[in-house]
Amino acid sequence: MMRALTIAGALAALAATQATAQLGAPRVVQRVLPGRQPPPPALTGIDALRADFLARTGGNIVYFSGDSYGLVPGAKTNLAAQAQWLRQHPEVVVRVEGHASTLDTRDHALALGARRAHEVRDFLVLMGVPAAQLTAVSMGKERPLGANSRVETVLVR
Amino acid sequence: MKRLIVFLVAAIAAPAAAQQAVPVIAVPPLASPADKQTSAGSTLTIAWQATELIAQDLRTTSEVLALPPNQQKDFYSYPEVTAPTFSRWRAKGAKALLTGFVQARADGRLAVGCYVYDTEKGTELGRTGFVVAPDDWRRAAHKCSGLAYKSLTGSPGIFDTRIAYVAKSGFGTAQSTRIATMDSDGLNHAYATSGDTLVTTPRLSPDGDTLAYVSFGGGQPHIVIGDIGSNSERPLVGTALPSFSPRFSPDGQRIAFSMTNGGNTDIYVAPANGGYPQRLTTSPGIDTSPSFSPDGRSILFESDRSGSQQLYVMGADGSNQRRISFGGGWYAAPEWSPDGEMIAFTSRGNDGLRIGVMKANGSDPRVLTSGPRDEGPNWAASSRELIFQRIDAAGRPGIYRVTLSGGEPRKVTVPQDAADPDWSGARE
Repeated sequence: MMRALTIAGALAALAATQATAQLGAPRVVQRVLPGRQPPPPALTGIDALRADFLARTGGNIVYFSGDSYGLVPGAKTNLAAQAQWLRQHPEVVVRVEGHASTLDTRDHALALGARRAHEVRDFLVLMGVPAAQLTAVSMGKERPLGANSRVETVLVR
Repeated sequence: MKRLIVFLVAAIAAPAAAQQAVPVIAVPPLASPADKQTSAGSTLTIAWQATELIAQDLRTTSEVLALPPNQQKDFYSYPEVTAPTFSRWRAKGAKALLTGFVQARADGRLAVGCYVYDTEKGTELGRTGFVVAPDDWRRAAHKCSGLAYKSLTGSPGIFDTRIAYVAKSGFGTAQSTRIATMDSDGLNHAYATSGDTLVTTPRLSPDGDTLAYVSFGGGQPHIVIGDIGSNSERPLVGTALPSFSPRFSPDGQRIAFSMTNGGNTDIYVAPANGGYPQRLTTSPGIDTSPSFSPDGRSILFESDRSGSQQLYVMGADGSNQRRISFGGGWYAAPEWSPDGEMIAFTSRGNDGLRIGVMKANGSDPRVLTSGPRDEGPNWAASSRELIFQRIDAAGRPGIYRVTLSGGEPRKVTVPQDAADPDWSGARE
């Protein structure tokens, strides 16, 4: 349900961006460009923030293969965009949620999810996000969702 | 007519007796010195119900064969409880005999006594007795079943044990999980948590009175200790670090568990009633799923420090860590059998998860179940049976029992979808 709302919000935000573009103010959604950041939009409400986060970062989920916890280049690009957005929104509290495969065993999955979440959290801190903004947690394999070897960046408030 | 019955009973008993000589026990109706009314019915009625329950308990095992009790034909007098006519039961093909009595006491409680005899030698193999509230006669009957099982096999019975598991309802993020406990025969089913928090991994203390489990309440998974039957609960450790995978020591005094610090998971041990945790492993790999040896001196665990999940043993103080699984493949979630002889594990492979056992030194690993989504084996007190979680072809989780002798696992009947079972030791 929450996911459906988030996606709906993202679509609405995209539609709004396109409408703006048609009005003659073309604007490329920018990735990592330290020092040349567009002004943070005035957003209110967690749903709007989440939609904006998704639209500007290209997604809030990075994936892993097998039992690995290392970040692949695509994941780093995505996380760099996430870090940029989070630096612009220091008031937003974030839960970095690690998950592991349902083909893993329960305890190992919990530990692996924690390791992945920690890896993502460390990378975001490396990219300049204040550590106080981030909490790494593991859900092990208790919240399966399609591809389960993943870390979700969840905006809490 | 009598000869015919003897013949029939012998014919029923013979095939089972032929298979590796499964001991046959006669369970004639328990006696009563006087048929008196109690708050749970008359003593003779309770005696008959208890007899049926004992025979039923023993029939759930593959190690003992109980002759079906007959309320009229098997009758014996109260003095014969301790002086049975052995030839009568020998003639029925029974190598063993269980007698007993139910007596109403002046204080309103029941005295229940049981005796197990060798009918060939004419000797007593064991006896047990209890004074219980009339409503607790079932527990006394389970104790009699346990006495018979132990007298004939040498192993503790599973009849007076408890099972804990995670009851599940709903799906996805709307899924509700509750810790549930019940007697091993399914009675006295109760929920220990309310369902508004994600919970996993219930573990019963050896006496079945205390529960450790993992709660995700407050964000981080952490171990909670609770007394069954009261609402008192507390966290095992007073830190914000994630903790999980609890298991009691055989004396119930300590809990071994995993804790994660800086993304690295190691094994710790802490007093069950509160106290500072001691760190036992320091490898950069994931060390988890600890299980004490029956003497409490060693801890079995899984670690992926070699690159894949394998089983290791160390001293209970963390000393002398050594790998014991070398059979190829991945081994996870081990538990040491109560008799110390075997190790149960989850076999993890590309084609799924299965339940297996190996000798305690790591040799002779073999897979017991067909999978592909079976995991988390826990031993019965008898060391002859395991309880585990299976997700079936339709994606529904349930709990199952499988015996070491093989055969199809049996599904345990519970009110909802069920996961993550644990089985207590035999209660004293």
